[in-house]
Amino acid sequence: MDSLFEIRNLNLYYGDFQALISIDMDIPKNKVTALIGPSGCGKSTFIRCLNRMNDLIDVARIEGSIMYQGEEANGEDYNVIELRKKVGMVFQNPNPFPMSIYDNIAYGPRQQGLKDKAKLDEIVDKALKQAALYDEVKDRVNDSAMGLSGGQQQRLCIARALAMEPEVILMDEPTSALDPIATQKIEDLINELKKYYTIVIVTHSMQQAARISDYTAFFYMGELREIGETDMIFKAPKLKQTEDYITGRFG
Amino acid sequence: MKSKNMSSYILDVLTYLSTIITVFALGLILFFLIREGSALIRPSLLTSDYFEQKYISSLPDEYELYTGTLPELTEDQFAIDNYGLIVEESRDKAGATVVRVVYLSDNSPLRNLLNENPAFQNEPLSLSEGMVINRVAYENRGSSLPSRGAAAMAEEMNNTDNIIRQFDFGVEGGGIRGSIIATVYLILMTLIIALPVGVLTALYFNEFAPSNKITNSMRSFIEVLTGVPSIIYGLMGVAVFVPLTTSLFQINSSNLIAGALTLAVILLPVIIRTTEESLRTVPNSHRFASLALGANKTQTTFKVVLPQAFSGILTATFLGIGRVIGESAALIFVLGTAIKDQVRILEPATSLAVHIFTVMSNEPANVELAAAIGVIILTIVLI
Repeated sequence: MDSLFEIRNLNLYYGDFQALISIDMDIPKNKVTALIGPSGCGKSTFIRCLNRMNDLIDVARIEGSIMYQGEEANGEDYNVIELRKKVGMVFQNPNPFPMSIYDNIAYGPRQQGLKDKAKLDEIVDKALKQAALYDEVKDRVNDSAMGLSGGQQQRLCIARALAMEPEVILMDEPTSALDPIATQKIEDLINELKKYYTIVIVTHSMQQAARISDYTAFFYMGELREIGETDMIFKAPKLKQTEDYITGRFG
Repeated sequence: MKSKNMSSYILDVLTYLSTIITVFALGLILFFLIREGSALIRPSLLTSDYFEQKYISSLPDEYELYTGTLPELTEDQFAIDNYGLIVEESRDKAGATVVRVVYLSDNSPLRNLLNENPAFQNEPLSLSEGMVINRVAYENRGSSLPSRGAAAMAEEMNNTDNIIRQFDFGVEGGGIRGSIIATVYLILMTLIIALPVGVLTALYFNEFAPSNKITNSMRSFIEVLTGVPSIIYGLMGVAVFVPLTTSLFQINSSNLIAGALTLAVILLPVIIRTTEESLRTVPNSHRFASLALGANKTQTTFKVVLPQAFSGILTATFLGIGRVIGESAALIFVLGTAIKDQVRILEPATSLAVHIFTVMSNEPANVELAAAIGVIILTIVLI
């Protein structure tokens, strides 16, 4: 199994509060890894370490090692911009920019200095197709993205991340603000995308983790309690606590 | 049936009373301004010069009387067929009767007059519409004067026995064209200076500045600046901007640029505050989304955050325009109080508000004109 991320002894503090405690974890390449656990267990904090979004929080302090493709990504001198280009992110609430659909998707490449209209058109079309949004919006890519439905907006955000041609897509509860039908579409999309991308997804839904992920990691109180193939975690968890959480006995 | 207790009634009555007092005060201001100023408010007030012009002229030795027709007369208008002219009677600022030209044919002999002013002897002059006729002197009889009325003047000019010796006319003064132009200049220059600086400062405070004691105290300092009386800004303008501009442009007077710079400083706190407020409404999720796409902080700020603050910046612009139009105390020193008809940015001038100050400082004070300008300022601010 190829690992894209190798995390060793990762500790994260928000001021005095330790949010992540000594995490050791490998994230396999071209697989879907689901992070589950009760609210406040640190899974969202963890996923934000992978593209260094915690840098934006003044009080956050991170110790330990995050190796990305064999390179230490947690150093002061590591190029965060390059990391974020390769590690895209989709957030909990759909957050398209108040611009046209086209401009939303072209935003990332444009900030990297791409101006060629034909090339941008190509990137936008490809991203829309990959995000299964093309058929719905192909006639109105110049309309405001704010006019799309919630599910469409979330797929637009995925398309926006895909336009950067990343290697990894981080998804922080991407369906928690969506209705069941929109959720279904996003899950289908993830199943499609996992052929080409490494996906790390935080989810509160056990069924979702079971449906779409290859590996599942169970977080509790800032610690990584158990990780393994999704089938194993759901059928025969090693820890009683994992089983209790999965079966809904607490959470 | 009594559903409310006594204190509720008192509070209700107090709110009504306060509203009535406010509306009454506003109405009083409007009533006063319109009553005093309405006589002067007409298009020519806005388009004419403040200083009156007087011309003394004569007709050339050979000229042809007008033979064409004249448009229909309305009430209070008098035709002078021989000269292709229609005049009406009206009153000037001081209430004296004047005879104003309302129509002048292109072929009128009065279009080809000769200047009798010794300094411009025999240079061509032309009467035109809107001007007033001050005196018509004849070879053979006494002069026609406006004080005897337009009807009498028309009758005497129409009499072919009367030969015109000297024709005096002029442009009525009291217009505020110069001050309007100066105000427009001030608005434009002030906004050009203050908007970019204010918006960028707001961006710095809201997006880049670390949240610590120094930035917080700078913020509250800027807040305090909004409360500083504007005459103090005027003093600063005299102490800083007037010397700065005079040495920079090799001039020796107060000037419009110094005025604009002073106003820009007055506007900065307002613009910074309004812009910052609208920047705060931009959701953080947009900043995160942009950063997660590999955009850097600057790109995020200018491409995602700033466009969303546009409405706030627009509000700041309108507040700024209102402030520039209304400001007088700060400008009296920096801009000077000399009313100018020819506005140049390196010379003193008056804005509309300072124009009021100047005409009210004259002896005697011109309350009518001041009230008329007041109505105009209020109209602009309301729009």
